[in-house]
Amino acid sequence: MTNSINNIEFVNELVAKTTKILKQEVIDNQQVAYEINTCDVHHLLSVLKTSGWKQLSYLSAVDWPEENKFEVVYILFNWEQPVYIQVRTKIDRENPVVDTITTVFPGAKYYEREAHEFFGIAFPGNPDYMKQLILEGWDDIPPLRKDFDPSAYSAKKFPSREYPQDYSVKDPENHTREKREARKVRGNALRTGGKKQ
Amino acid sequence: MKEMKLFLGPQHPGMHGNASVHMFVDGDIIKRSYLLPGMLHRGFEKQMERKLWVNNISLIPRVCVPEPDINEMSFATAAEKILKLEIPERAHWIRMIILEFARISAHLMAYGGLGGPTGNYTLMYHAHVDRNYILDIFEKITGARVYHQYIVIGGVRQDLPEGIEEDIHAFLNDLESRLVEYRDLGIDNASIIKRIKDTIMLPEEVVWELGVTGIGMRSAVGKEYDVRKVVPYARYDQVEFEVPTSNYSDARARLDIKIKEVQQSINIIRQCLEKMPEGPVRVKPGRGQSMRWTVPFGYAYAPIESSRGEFGYYMVSNGGTSPWRVGVRGASYPQGLLGIEKYLPGTRIDDAALWVDTMGICSPEIDR
Repeated sequence: MTNSINNIEFVNELVAKTTKILKQEVIDNQQVAYEINTCDVHHLLSVLKTSGWKQLSYLSAVDWPEENKFEVVYILFNWEQPVYIQVRTKIDRENPVVDTITTVFPGAKYYEREAHEFFGIAFPGNPDYMKQLILEGWDDIPPLRKDFDPSAYSAKKFPSREYPQDYSVKDPENHTREKREARKVRGNALRTGGKKQ
Repeated sequence: MKEMKLFLGPQHPGMHGNASVHMFVDGDIIKRSYLLPGMLHRGFEKQMERKLWVNNISLIPRVCVPEPDINEMSFATAAEKILKLEIPERAHWIRMIILEFARISAHLMAYGGLGGPTGNYTLMYHAHVDRNYILDIFEKITGARVYHQYIVIGGVRQDLPEGIEEDIHAFLNDLESRLVEYRDLGIDNASIIKRIKDTIMLPEEVVWELGVTGIGMRSAVGKEYDVRKVVPYARYDQVEFEVPTSNYSDARARLDIKIKEVQQSINIIRQCLEKMPEGPVRVKPGRGQSMRWTVPFGYAYAPIESSRGEFGYYMVSNGGTSPWRVGVRGASYPQGLLGIEKYLPGTRIDDAALWVDTMGICSPEIDR
């Protein structure tokens, strides 16, 4: 394992040679991030894989409703030259389509299925990206989008129960509330030395 | 013979947590199989976006039940990377003690879990007793037994209590003396050796195809591919430890590595207690009120070596009081979903539980 600074320089050169970088960010001495065009993703990932970044650590998406974009992120790792590479690309939010990378990393199959389920991103080329994985019988917009409101969904899905009789009427024998109020007054009196507040 | 559908789990002695394996079997040979996750889905990633950074501390340990501390560490490290925060030196060493105890406890649980599918329940009872002693130590340090909420952004919640060193040393000596017994009861036990030797193999090329990390990878590749060694976090670069490996990955080799790693964790905890400096253990993480502080705009991925492999949080902040997006990279994702679909067919029914146990599959972190 060589020096980590050299590793990052090596990655910078490799990525700059391969594709056009829109934005670049060094997170620490073991992690770099690149934002690239969507059409270059497949090519860059193939080049990185043949250069030793053989492990796909993570694939997911981030929702940016103000820009009207989804950001798809791929995190790759090389155990010999330890640098984590975040490859990020922004796609249209109205029509979110990005080509599958299962031809490069077969392990991405289930990550893509999950991203489709939680964000509604389509991955043409992955034979079963549209099958349901975790959410059974989901009937609303994909839940990790920012415009999905869980409390509104739960109010709609599980309406509050209406009781035929009002059970909240207190037992006339039960003086808990009065006792509590009296305790509060007594405590206040002790704290302020008998004076009124 | 006609193909028959069979369910393994959600309730099964060899399954951890609530996921079920659907198998299509011919005789007792699995023809097709897939995992059915989702029974533990609680929408963690969505909930985290709606809570303050501080409030999330109580939520994240629930992502993986048997080993909660890696979640806290990964969450805290990712936020500290975005904040560019330097935490006190002593906090790093305390974190390492907690993480290594968590690793021992998870390994003991998995090693004892071998008792389920092989019918060797004595091993399970022994392992759970020792795990209980670790929970006692956790209770003394953090006040809680399972969900500690101890590693927070900016350090650890409080300093170690007085006199805990003696308790830790006494427990470690005790456990170390019993490791031989564990080997005799488990992987060297003549009554179950045929069940675990040369079964559910994991060849090297499959590792790269699936993206398996952790013990599964190290047992097949034979190299020291451990996040603690390769990309050291906390102060793992200042302690001496070995990463056990092997070149032949069957169930026995993987369990063997687990027991060797317990020994290494014991060594690490002893070094931590020796090298730990005095000083503060927590700093204030961000600007703002005591609870509603903000984290600046940024992206970070924080990998941690869990007992099952590389575990990480991908975190995005837009400068607010809550995270904008938290993505959990569950360590058991590749072997749990793709591994069961592709590499279980061809093995026998009773080997499925062994795959789940020895590869370390934690269903809550697949579902989140």
